[in-house]
Amino acid sequence: MEKVIEIINLTKTYGNGRGIYDLNLDIYKGDIFGFLGPNGAGKTTAMKIMTGLIRPENGDVKIMGHSVIEEYEKAMAKVGCLIEIAESYQFLSAFENLKQIARYYPDVDNKRIDEVLELTGMYKFKHEKTKKFSLGMKQRLGLAAAVLSRPKVVILDEPLNGLDVEGMIDIRKMIQSLAEKEQTTFFISSHLIHDVELTCNRIGVIYNGRILNVENTDAILKNYATLENYFVSEVERNGRVSSSASK
Amino acid sequence: MAVFQAALLNEIEKLYRKKKVLVAILLSLAVIVIGQLVIVGVRSGFGLRGTGSVEFPMLVLSVVVNTILPLFTALVTIDSFSGEFSQNSMRITLTRPISRFKIYTAKITSIVLFILGALLLLLVFSMLAGFIFNANSASFDSLGRTVFSYLVSILPMTVLALGIVLLANIFRSGIAVFFISILIFLAFKVLGLLFSQYSSLFLTTQLDWYNLFLVNSFPLAKIARQFLIMLGSGIMLFSAGFYIFDKKEF
Repeated sequence: MEKVIEIINLTKTYGNGRGIYDLNLDIYKGDIFGFLGPNGAGKTTAMKIMTGLIRPENGDVKIMGHSVIEEYEKAMAKVGCLIEIAESYQFLSAFENLKQIARYYPDVDNKRIDEVLELTGMYKFKHEKTKKFSLGMKQRLGLAAAVLSRPKVVILDEPLNGLDVEGMIDIRKMIQSLAEKEQTTFFISSHLIHDVELTCNRIGVIYNGRILNVENTDAILKNYATLENYFVSEVERNGRVSSSASK
Repeated sequence: MAVFQAALLNEIEKLYRKKKVLVAILLSLAVIVIGQLVIVGVRSGFGLRGTGSVEFPMLVLSVVVNTILPLFTALVTIDSFSGEFSQNSMRITLTRPISRFKIYTAKITSIVLFILGALLLLLVFSMLAGFIFNANSASFDSLGRTVFSYLVSILPMTVLALGIVLLANIFRSGIAVFFISILIFLAFKVLGLLFSQYSSLFLTTQLDWYNLFLVNSFPLAKIARQFLIMLGSGIMLFSAGFYIFDKKEF
């Protein structure tokens, strides 16, 4: 299978001792990869390095074979992302915000902007300034921005933040249909474990900055009743190991 | 190059969609109107000549390069850097297929274009005011010198903007950058007066360098020296600012 994202020996530590250590991970074409971990485990740090927002101390990330450190423009050419809170320019309308992004991709025209606004249910707010948008609306706009350029790889950090039930279902359907129809690869982190279970076909668990396990969702659900049980058992097992080791 | 153009277009769009630019334009026009009213008042009240049609734009230039133009340059620069850092909207651009060097250069280019626009606007309106109220003593030679003086003023203003860009990358708060910029500006002005033999090293004294072009003898050596000092400091400030911008975590 074709490797789309390669995370190689990635290390980044912060002054408070948190961070990620020697992270290795391969994501394949068509994967909807769920990145799970407790708060402060290093999910966002890994995703920020993948999208060039911070630099690692060690290691590299290759997207479609291009290093994000050495060849950033090439690596990001086919990537759409949403990191933490969806940001927008508050003095511009939803359409103008997407237009700003569209300028970086030669094949994205106004029709495509309308298309993604429709896809995320934001078309009726097309000409409204984002200043007055609710968190859910901002998140939908952020998702529209992430898929605007018809990317081959989409990196989403907590994409369901602030969304209502309807929104969650819409976004889940959108992700699954893009993965199926256009073979788009997704790398998603979320706290909403039930949603990850329904959306993702591969799961990686990160704890204290280290990858504990990577497994197919189907294989997990054969041994555990729910993904939550698996996650708790993985984290507890590791927690016990590390706490007994420190004694 | 296409992505640089996209980034530049985006920066220009952000610039003109903010109300700050509109305020800058209105205040620039206010300076011209107030200046002209003062001159008309002096002429009719005291019987003094005031200024001629071409002299008025020069008078406006001498006032604005030391006051509102640096102020607006600071505001626009701080907004472009510190403003986007604090609202995290920098991430919108940073996660696109464009290198940080191109983003940094596009931001600075848009600021330079803003300065150029402001100078041209002031030039056109002050000339119009000059011709309307004092339609005498105009010649093509002095007209050319006036236009040239406005155009060369872009160089020291750019160096000033680059200095503020560096500060905006060092300090996180936009307000801190604004006050530190003003303090440094004032300190340089005072130092330039106290140590006049070294005044060409203080960047603020170069804001008036257009005067060198008005001297009949045309001091080429002095102009070249000032130009090289500004070029050197500009390159250093640009590089230092980019070094920090490139390392920044978002």
